[in-house]
Amino acid sequence: MVQLTIQNVNRILHDNNGERINVLEDINLSVGSGEFISIIGPSGCGKTTLLRLISGLDQPETGKVTVDDQLVTRPDASRGYVFQHGSLFPWETIRDNISAGLKAVHGRHYDRNLVAHYIELMGLKGFEKAYPHQVSGGMAQRAALARSIIMNPELLLLDEPMGALDAFTRADVQDVIHRVWKQTQTTMVLVTHDIDEAIYLGTRIVVMTPRPGRIKEVVTNPLTFPRDRTSDQFLEFRRAIQDKLNFGKKPISETI
Amino acid sequence: MLDAVTLSKKHRSPAAKKDEVQTKYWKPWRLTWNVLSLVTVAAAYFENVTVHSQELVNNGAYKGFLAAYFGYLLIVYGIGSVTKGKIRLYSGHFAQLNALLGVVLIGQDLLTEKFAMIKLPFFVSFAQILDQIKTDQKLLIASTWSSLGLWLVSFIVGTLIGVVLGLYMGRYRQFNYWSFPFLKVIGIIPAAAWMPLTMVIFPTSYLAEIFLIAFAVWFPVAFMTIGGVQSISSDYFESARTLGFSEFQIMRKVVIPGALPNIFIGIFTAMGLSFTMLVISEMIGAKVGLGWYINWAKGVGNYTQVYAAIVIMAILFSVIFSFLNKLQEYALRWRKSSKV
Ligand SMILES: Nc1ncnc2c1ncn2[C@@H]1O[C@H](COP(=O)(O)OP(=O)(O)OP(=O)(O)O)[C@@H](O)[C@H]1O
Ligand SMILES: [Mg+2]
Repeated sequence: MVQLTIQNVNRILHDNNGERINVLEDINLSVGSGEFISIIGPSGCGKTTLLRLISGLDQPETGKVTVDDQLVTRPDASRGYVFQHGSLFPWETIRDNISAGLKAVHGRHYDRNLVAHYIELMGLKGFEKAYPHQVSGGMAQRAALARSIIMNPELLLLDEPMGALDAFTRADVQDVIHRVWKQTQTTMVLVTHDIDEAIYLGTRIVVMTPRPGRIKEVVTNPLTFPRDRTSDQFLEFRRAIQDKLNFGKKPISETI
Repeated sequence: MLDAVTLSKKHRSPAAKKDEVQTKYWKPWRLTWNVLSLVTVAAAYFENVTVHSQELVNNGAYKGFLAAYFGYLLIVYGIGSVTKGKIRLYSGHFAQLNALLGVVLIGQDLLTEKFAMIKLPFFVSFAQILDQIKTDQKLLIASTWSSLGLWLVSFIVGTLIGVVLGLYMGRYRQFNYWSFPFLKVIGIIPAAAWMPLTMVIFPTSYLAEIFLIAFAVWFPVAFMTIGGVQSISSDYFESARTLGFSEFQIMRKVVIPGALPNIFIGIFTAMGLSFTMLVISEMIGAKVGLGWYINWAKGVGNYTQVYAAIVIMAILFSVIFSFLNKLQEYALRWRKSSKV
């Protein structure tokens, strides 16, 4: 059981000229056990910033982030984080990358079968001994996913883990994430640009606006699983979300 | 289950390995060059035997060397001409250099011992050097071992100090703040400047030599290591923290491997300096070693011995260099190969 609470959070940063930027303003969000939250919003609206606050990599200027009433002050293995630019260790093989966290926490006697299971699940069989630069972007991203999921975190933060993938690989990885979420009941927070992806995976969808980054609306996803991207309900819900993002009304250049 | 196409795309295959060998040995195999190099080496032998010598030289060792060289070429080319593997690429690539070496051997032999156009005692033929090595072999082997031992101990000590300091200075700002000024001031002093002092301060000259060589090594290694640590992308530190790494594990699994490419740059810079310091300190303080041998030969005016020691050093230092190169290749095997 895990309860994530974000209360009145503001994040203030300074640009190169020392100008103050309100990257996040008055963020309030409450996430319960087993939820899948999709955060969607245009580039630069502060999605990564928010995820970093939840993980404990950064602290908010005001407000607080708590997990089970504990103030988040630093990163912890119980909060997994898959980075936007999948940061596998280039000096370790795919297998060593996947088992890195297990080894760090459990030492030499980590569960090797678990590693084998995830290598299989992520379709990385035969590439255990390859180094990250020797595998495709999709494989590297799946390995990064495995590295975090294998820790069995109570909360998994996903920063556009599929951003760099082509449409086919993307759909595959989405299905893997969905399957893991169902099986493990891990609470997940996914940041994405992609409305389809947000709707396909999320139980609730958080719509953000830029400058300053605010939560515009939190929408509960009415669709039941399994979801069909081409069903009428899906497309109807997609249109509703798209309207909230003001796409089509504002030229893209203004939102970026 | 997942994308089968990407699965097979970029994985390293034996074919990739072969490509690497092909880019390393890129000159095509040519019969002409192979034959020509055999001819020049054979000619060097016949020239040495037939042309009348102006100087009194025992050519036994030189002839043995030429015969062995010829035999080696014959075997390599023989295998290269009938097989398709690495040996063919290798022999084809070096055929032109081998041919040139044959010509150079003929040239130096004619200029020195045959026509005496450049003269003893300052210029000697390769044959004389080889003969000297043969004569002094016991002493030279002992000297080589002694130099190698001294170098190894000092280089390891210097590298360890440099790496450890560099890692801590690169990782911890406070430590860096207090120690960097010292590093900058002390490290910039040439090790040789300490020589008179070390001879007095250290109880034995061997310790003084270790200090001098290690001193030449630690600074470039430490300096490069600091830069290496600081150039590691913060992404790796952050993912380590979210995976629950302890500070010690971050040091071992992120900082050290991440700085390793730069550490090796430092090690190679330090290597040249360490050879210099090795020879200098042996010339001054030691009673063994190749540096001492050179100094002793200079004392008795035997320049052939000086050349002999230089040839041995060339071999010894190249072997050390190749070993370090291989070590680097292995330690950094995770890097994208940058070869064109
Ligand atoms: N360290 C920083 N210093 C100053 N400004 C920053 C810093 N990090 C982020 N910003 C600014 O904060 C804003 C939000 O950045 P953030 O990376 O959270 O956006 P994002 O929603 O994740 O965008 P994208 O979808 O492109 O990844 C941007 O305008 C960015 O310029
Ligand atoms: Mg982002």
